[in-house]
Amino acid sequence: MKVNTAIYRFLLFTLLTALIPLPDLFSQAVPGKDENIPYLVTFGKNGETSWGDNDFRSIFFFTIPRDYNRQFYIKVFDPDAGGENDEIQGLWDSRTLFSVYGGKGVDPDKNIESRGLEPDDNFKSGNLLASRVFGNDARYDNGYYAFGPFNPTEGEFNEKWKSYIFKIVCEGVSGDDGNLFRYFLSREAGSDLPIEGANAFTYEYTFRMWNDMKSIAHIYPYVDTGIVSIRQKNFDWDDDGVILVVSTYKQGLPVPISNEDDYAESTIPVEQQEIGKSLDFQFHKKQSSLVRNNNVVVSLKNQRGDALQFFSSPIGGVPVYQPLTRIRKIQKK
Amino acid sequence: MFKVERLSLNSGPFSEISPVITSDGIIFCSDRRTSGITYRTSFDNRRLYNIYFAERKDTSDWRKPVMFKSERSALFNNGPLCIAPDSITVYFTSEIETGVPTKSRRFRNRSGIFTGQLSGNEILSIQPLKFNNSEYNLGQPSVSSDGRYLFFASDMTGGQGGSDIYYCEWVNGEWSDPVNLGPDVNSSAIENYPFIHPSGKLYFTSNRPGGMGGLDVYFSIKTGDEWETPVRLSEPVNSSSDDFALVAFPDLQKGYFSSNRSRNDDIYEFVTTIIRKSTCNVLEENNYCYEFVEENAVRYDTMPFRYEWKFGDGNTADGKIVEHCFAGPGTYVVQLDVTNLVTKEVTPNIKSDVLVIKDIEQPYISCPDFADAGQAISFSADSTNLPGWDIGQYYWNFGDETIAVGKNVKKTYLRPGTYNIQLIVSARPGTDGTIREACISKDILIKQQP
Repeated sequence: MKVNTAIYRFLLFTLLTALIPLPDLFSQAVPGKDENIPYLVTFGKNGETSWGDNDFRSIFFFTIPRDYNRQFYIKVFDPDAGGENDEIQGLWDSRTLFSVYGGKGVDPDKNIESRGLEPDDNFKSGNLLASRVFGNDARYDNGYYAFGPFNPTEGEFNEKWKSYIFKIVCEGVSGDDGNLFRYFLSREAGSDLPIEGANAFTYEYTFRMWNDMKSIAHIYPYVDTGIVSIRQKNFDWDDDGVILVVSTYKQGLPVPISNEDDYAESTIPVEQQEIGKSLDFQFHKKQSSLVRNNNVVVSLKNQRGDALQFFSSPIGGVPVYQPLTRIRKIQKK
Repeated sequence: MFKVERLSLNSGPFSEISPVITSDGIIFCSDRRTSGITYRTSFDNRRLYNIYFAERKDTSDWRKPVMFKSERSALFNNGPLCIAPDSITVYFTSEIETGVPTKSRRFRNRSGIFTGQLSGNEILSIQPLKFNNSEYNLGQPSVSSDGRYLFFASDMTGGQGGSDIYYCEWVNGEWSDPVNLGPDVNSSAIENYPFIHPSGKLYFTSNRPGGMGGLDVYFSIKTGDEWETPVRLSEPVNSSSDDFALVAFPDLQKGYFSSNRSRNDDIYEFVTTIIRKSTCNVLEENNYCYEFVEENAVRYDTMPFRYEWKFGDGNTADGKIVEHCFAGPGTYVVQLDVTNLVTKEVTPNIKSDVLVIKDIEQPYISCPDFADAGQAISFSADSTNLPGWDIGQYYWNFGDETIAVGKNVKKTYLRPGTYNIQLIVSARPGTDGTIREACISKDILIKQQP
């Protein structure tokens, strides 16, 4: 009898897994499933930029759809700097501050400084809803800390996305170790229950690559109306392979890549047909030798200098290249 | 080959000769009576020829001819005539001497060529050509369609005998000295009434031996610097009587000539029974070659990829832009495989296109592009592709006024040159009685036999 129940449960699980689209199920994970990024990374402010973090902070925004009216949590996986996943520099001496903001001043469309892209920006704008400092704390190593519960209306409403915006800021307030972590938006503190239609985005992506030559990381900037070209800037990629830009119209446009502690920039033309969709920035690691613990920072600006958003769950889905073939008759050879 | 009919504009007892084609009728010469009381005659009581214009009323009838008047029309023979490309300048034959000697019964006046300006029904500003000469005759002018050459007949000394065909070239605003066409065209007999057709064919009249009797019409074509051996036109244009002064429309399907086959000199119309289409598509060779482009890859120069095209006929090619020629018509599924050179990942059949290649729907002429004169050449319409046609006839016009009927025929060209072949395919009548017809043409170069 028990065996039969187990079989039924397995079949039900298999059926549900097949029916529910995975991107929706994991849409509030940061980094998202499609991004194939192991961790976000923030170093303590005494760290070296050559280790892959140019500003020792990370700012993410969560969007909660307005028709969701229940409480939710912002969970941080492995918030401490120590133990299994993080990057030690000497001794574990880093302290990392996570702060959740809501209310007026959070929405980066209305308050550009909320994006925190410039050194002097007041990125702590909005109402501080919760915060906590983590050091080398084994309790949270490989575990979650849940901020919340929050009510959706505690965020700032954004008309364009029809969502309430919340902001979570991660700062390396002391030490020099690298804190590697992930976020997750959940309806409950003790489990991972996604909120349908929710998403997360940032303007400057600082992340850790896999220590695996085969794995390809992706980030998905959204191409908004009016964009004709994009200026990409990547930092400290340690010459670790190739960055390709993929869209419905671009099969894999290579862009210049940065080396140790430097920037590489280039301009990417945008097709009219790419507006309102996401691009796929693919990070292919070097195949000749494995570069370990590689952290990279990426930011994009449009032709007017406005920063583009990277969504954890790509708007319009993961872009798939569509070849455009033309066949025409030619003179007989 | 020809159908001949006497024109209704001919008058009963008088002569009508030397027609000239105009846009709305013909100009001709006639010694017809111009008044009810008297003939216009020369001193020896021969009736004078003058120039007339007959406007075409319909396809078979003409309006009453009207005379072109000039200061010479009452005193001298006028005509034959030709019109220069400007449609105003005319060249015509008339007598040279106008002074006292002409009144002498013993004086023999000679003809020359005069130029004038056509104005309504009058010829004004008449001037003699500089090489008119009282020692010999010049006449029957014909100007080429580009206005560059003036052909005429003359019995001047230094010819081949009798009267010969000469030409002058318009150089620096005047006609050059006359040049005899030489023994290729002229003979010891009479050659006269030249007509230079826009195609370059020179028609003329001769009573040389070997004809059908009296004067006959011949033509010759200049190839390089040489005039080809003249060809005598067949019956019924030529007859045992005098047949002369032939002119033809640009398409050579129709024209006029003079003949005394019915006792008087009269003008006749000839129509060729050879079918030659004025509009006929040029044969298009079937082409199965194509270019294949991955346009986005070209546009963005996506270097780290390899593009492999599979053409559906077992052949492949690599590149963003490739070319391939298929063996023939058919349906081919063209597949594009892409290899990401960074990941080595192959995406097979990332895009496929169905390419349907059909032969062009047209009659098809299978023959060599060139051959030697005297060589028998096979012509085939086997590759004709006219789906849905119930073809009843294959008609070949070889461009030298010869024809053949049949799907596969043979032909031997005797003279070098470029000939435009027409293949006219006719379907059997449909249920509504309509007959579909399609024409295709192709040039063949015939070279001198080595």
